[in-house]
Amino acid sequence: MRTISSVLGSLARVVSTSLMLLFAVTTLHAQDVKEGEKIFKSKCTSCHAIDRKVVGPALKGVPDTKSEEWLIKWIRNSQALIASGDAEAVKIFEEYNKSVMTSFTDLSDDQIKSVIAFIKDASVEKPKDPTKDGAAAKDDNASMFMILGLIAVVVLAVVVIVVLNRVIRTLENVIAKNQEAIAAQQEPEDNQRFVKFAKAFVKNKKLVGFTVLMLVALLAVGGWKTMWNVGVHEGYKPVQPIKFSHQIHAGVNKIECQYCHGGAFKSKNASIPSANVCMNCHNTITASEHYDGEISPEIAKIYRALDWNPETRTYGNNPKPIQWVRIHNLPDFAYFNHSQHVVVAGVECQTCHGPIQNMEEVYQYSPLTMKWCVDCHKKTDIKSDNKYYEDLIKAHERIKKGEKMTAAMIGGLECGKCHY
Amino acid sequence: MIENMLAMNKKNLLGTVCAAVALTALVSSCGDKTTRSTGLEFSRNMYDPLAFNPDQPNANFADGKTAQTPPKGTDPVGFTRFEYANTLEEYERAGREVKNPLVVNAENLEKGKALFTTYCSVCHGPEGKGDGPLTKDRSVTDSRGTRQLENFPPPPSYHRTDKANSSRGGFMADLTDGKIYHTIYYGHNSMGSHASQLSPEERWKVVMYVHELQKK
Repeated sequence: MRTISSVLGSLARVVSTSLMLLFAVTTLHAQDVKEGEKIFKSKCTSCHAIDRKVVGPALKGVPDTKSEEWLIKWIRNSQALIASGDAEAVKIFEEYNKSVMTSFTDLSDDQIKSVIAFIKDASVEKPKDPTKDGAAAKDDNASMFMILGLIAVVVLAVVVIVVLNRVIRTLENVIAKNQEAIAAQQEPEDNQRFVKFAKAFVKNKKLVGFTVLMLVALLAVGGWKTMWNVGVHEGYKPVQPIKFSHQIHAGVNKIECQYCHGGAFKSKNASIPSANVCMNCHNTITASEHYDGEISPEIAKIYRALDWNPETRTYGNNPKPIQWVRIHNLPDFAYFNHSQHVVVAGVECQTCHGPIQNMEEVYQYSPLTMKWCVDCHKKTDIKSDNKYYEDLIKAHERIKKGEKMTAAMIGGLECGKCHY
Repeated sequence: MIENMLAMNKKNLLGTVCAAVALTALVSSCGDKTTRSTGLEFSRNMYDPLAFNPDQPNANFADGKTAQTPPKGTDPVGFTRFEYANTLEEYERAGREVKNPLVVNAENLEKGKALFTTYCSVCHGPEGKGDGPLTKDRSVTDSRGTRQLENFPPPPSYHRTDKANSSRGGFMADLTDGKIYHTIYYGHNSMGSHASQLSPEERWKVVMYVHELQKK
């Protein structure tokens, strides 16, 4: 008996210790994965993703094909591994056009191991989230309700149709009996009423006068408003070929206006960015998490315009320009220069373009009429701390002193003064 | 009888006119005052230039665009050629050979800072720590609802104290003139080329300011 109890006791101990060990191992593993994820996000994501090729290869399943020892060496210093003549390392280096992976000499073995643990963990297809399953079950319930509801609606509809049919039949009977009488009464009465009213209206001169006056006034006000708004595109919000949101890019992402519209610094035109500027970010950003892993259809339009293949990450030779619709269109007889306003005067973009950082779709905020320009020029102070005013003041002083001033000295030899 | 009716109609008419005016006022004050059309236009041809604007279609060119890229082998006015290819060896060579032609002074540094703020800080952060707004968690609420936006992978910090490695060897804080210029010109990893956005002189001003950040 004693032997049996001792055997049972030892068995229980073994089971409990092994359970504890297992628990410890799993929690350790979980910690590794968490730590690995942290390191991965701070050091690896600029070149790698789990599911797709970015600059470097997709890492899904990689830990299964290479030994941990080799991976540690490669991650710590891939160039040293290649230099040592490791066949596998040289092969990968050649395959990726000799692009060099950053060395991470500052990472410890344990840290690299945890990164590998994270990649292993992320490579495994996760079973569906329990909360999502719950939602699916709820959806099923909902669809059951919907089906029952539909049946009820159909039954109700049939009943209503039958009842209505009966009512219609009885009404038809009644109408058939009374039709002649109704026809005889109704029509002349209606006609008579209208004629009576018209006659009375025409007889009352005051009322006619008043109505005419009202009509003239309405037409005048409407006409006046319409005339003043001819060619004024205030509030114009055309549909653009790509649903580009300034709210996301300028508002939430806080990208400076001139990152894309650099022309506002240098020239007359604020310039629409060429699509290579979009690709500075969108070679990486595809918004695929909102489209079930597919590239956002709007971002895909940039790729099509540039003939960029996101799979192979190469450009084709058949690019097509994106045909944006021009919103602000100053007539050709008026000259406007962005750099003069933005660089010299330091005017904020929003002064003329409105709360552009909140616009999901851009519209013309200002009327761009001559009155609008003149009103602003009347109240804006000049910034006199630049060379133009230095030269101007110098010239005035020379004139005061009675010195010789030629046209050439005040810019009369500049090409653009004659050839514009 | 007729007079009675007229008095009634007068009231009705006045009421109708008032209602109509009120209705027009209400309708015109509703909405966000934006429209899909340009509205009434007179002599539209005065808005369309005779000369071609850079962003206009142009049948005179094979690709239908007015804005043409310069022909191969030519340089725009004010541009100097950067004779280094987009390879690791050439990057290292540029790092050894190319020096900033501009003198370090307060004016150039100030301009460099302004350019860095516009063209770089959205990823590299205002202080070059690799913590620009694009690398942080952020969400937008618009007509499609509220959603999280994708983060851009953060670039390594320039600061000496952060001891961040460059992917092409050495510390970010040790990058030389030529290496930084090469990176602006060609881009690297997730960073695209910024050559079309910055003139050579502006690139050198940015390089000058990056050296300031490396001292931190």
